[in-house]
Amino acid sequence: MTISVGIPRALLFHEFGELWQGFFTNLGIPVSVSAATTKTVLDRGASLAVDESCLPLKLYLGHAESLLGCSSHLFVPRIACYHRDYYLCAKFAGLPDIVRNTFGLSADRLIVPDVDGRRPLCGINAVRTAAGAVGRSTFAGLASLRRALAAWRAQSRADGTAGAKVAVIGHSYILHDPLLGGEILALLAGRNVATATPDDIPAGELYAEAKKFAPAVHWQLSAKLAGATRHFALRPDIAGLVLVSCFGCGPDSLVNEYLEQRVLKACGKPYVIISLDEHTGRAGVATRVEAFWDLVEWRRRL
Amino acid sequence: MGNMSAPVRHMLESLAVEVAEAPPISRRTVELGTLHSPEGVCLPYKLNMGNFLEGLERGADTIVTMCGAGKCRFGFYGAVQQTALAKGREVAFCSLDTERLLPDMYRFLRRAAPAAGRLAVAGSIALAVKKLRALDALNDAKNYFGPRADAPQRIIDLCEYGAGEIALADSFAEVNYSRDLIAGVMGSYCRADAPQPPRVALVGEFYVLLEPYANHWIENALIRQGVEVKKFVRAGGWAYAKTLLQTFGLFNEEREYLEQARPYFSHHVGGDGLKSVGTSLWSARQGYDGIIHAFPFGCMPEIVAQYALKNIVADYGLPLLTLSIDEHASDVGIATRLEAFVDCIKRKKNVT
Repeated sequence: MTISVGIPRALLFHEFGELWQGFFTNLGIPVSVSAATTKTVLDRGASLAVDESCLPLKLYLGHAESLLGCSSHLFVPRIACYHRDYYLCAKFAGLPDIVRNTFGLSADRLIVPDVDGRRPLCGINAVRTAAGAVGRSTFAGLASLRRALAAWRAQSRADGTAGAKVAVIGHSYILHDPLLGGEILALLAGRNVATATPDDIPAGELYAEAKKFAPAVHWQLSAKLAGATRHFALRPDIAGLVLVSCFGCGPDSLVNEYLEQRVLKACGKPYVIISLDEHTGRAGVATRVEAFWDLVEWRRRL
Repeated sequence: MGNMSAPVRHMLESLAVEVAEAPPISRRTVELGTLHSPEGVCLPYKLNMGNFLEGLERGADTIVTMCGAGKCRFGFYGAVQQTALAKGREVAFCSLDTERLLPDMYRFLRRAAPAAGRLAVAGSIALAVKKLRALDALNDAKNYFGPRADAPQRIIDLCEYGAGEIALADSFAEVNYSRDLIAGVMGSYCRADAPQPPRVALVGEFYVLLEPYANHWIENALIRQGVEVKKFVRAGGWAYAKTLLQTFGLFNEEREYLEQARPYFSHHVGGDGLKSVGTSLWSARQGYDGIIHAFPFGCMPEIVAQYALKNIVADYGLPLLTLSIDEHASDVGIATRLEAFVDCIKRKKNVT
């Protein structure tokens, strides 16, 4: 059987997808990434998942299922934490087990590099696992990772400047997904509203901003959101903030409240917190975005 | 939190700290807590919040709570609760990190009870842990003897009574004496030749399993229906492991349960997720008749565990009852499902 690797277009793919693709492509392994999210993918995911799972996880399972037929291996990294000071949510640490238990896959069909920044040699071990799973040496893996990293960093987009009116803040896997946060961005774009997202700010700056919170936010992705919220709240060219979250997101359920009390209410700018779920009927989201934008306009006229 | 508060209260009072204990959890606690919590947060947060508010009503000026860094939401409770409680009143908020429980607790007690000597503080911590472990033992005895006795309610009442005795004991010897006495009396209520009752493993999230109000007294309900319950989450065992063993590097939760959970689960996911999978698999292999998985609605580690549990019960042919509990759960709703579950395992046991 020829080896081909499938990568689901969900969760951390939106941050590291190009790096992962580059890694396997440099090794000469064909890579297929699942197609952009559609309602069908989400519905499939929702029916496969445990009911109480968060929306992005359901989406991930839908994407993973769509790859099972066409690739010999699935790339499901276990990212427990990649920044020394932060943890990721429980679902990232359990992701490979979730996938394996859901589809009943044998262990050799999954490529599971363990990423745990607090363990020594975790980088090399991760490369060894990933390269070994597709029959390549650790050395070849390291070389290919180096090239992929260089390419990934070179096209990194954040420049810290975005002339914008409204900041849309949410996890990258929500904002980059056409069916989730993408819809909100499109709604705003349809009204010719310039938007800024946490991606427009270099990650280092976000973490530095997040460190100013005491007590510290200890989930890594949430820390980025907290940093972004603080950054945008202080920027004079941002007229309003939209916080996008998904139903069932554990960290967001606390961090959004924290940010609302400590940043959003204090900054005096209009803000709205929108929580998405898998039910259809997007009129609710549209109504809220429009009402929010009306408020921003009204405030600016005062 | 269940039986945990009495020994802790006694510990503080023995060091001459004035304690305003929050009243036992009631409907009002739940409503008050829910009112002052974010909507999507898990039940333990809301109940904690209710406890804090009722404690403040009784005149407390310092809140002591625990907090653990990690993947689960528990690590961030304190930060948000502190902000919410600080509105309009003067409250000192002290959170003890579960990863450094012993040093944190020692430091807190030294500050709260400046008159007490170092030895008295260390001694009172040791006695509190000892009491919690004795309460665990008593609860285990209740779960073992209860379904074997003719009148299970008598065993449950005895356990209540014993818990009160142990909470007020002043020395290790007194704790041992009460524990052995009560367990002995429990044993005397059972026939020696009682048949083996159906066995159920109770796994899940820490808080929900320890606080009887939150789990709707599942254990007692099972005992009354003649089912032996094995609960894997225990306050004393946890306090012992976290304070003493972990401080001296003798305990590593991850290593402990990782072996047990393979091949269904291969990483620590925060909270009790890994433990739930490990202990469920252990019970399945030990020939238990069913598994009850109880956790707060939306609990992240337990949801991850659920994916594995579904496969474990399918592979071993066991009934599984999943209780996802939030502030809307009612006694009757839980009781109905529990009865149906017990009927199911009893019938299954008779057929095979």
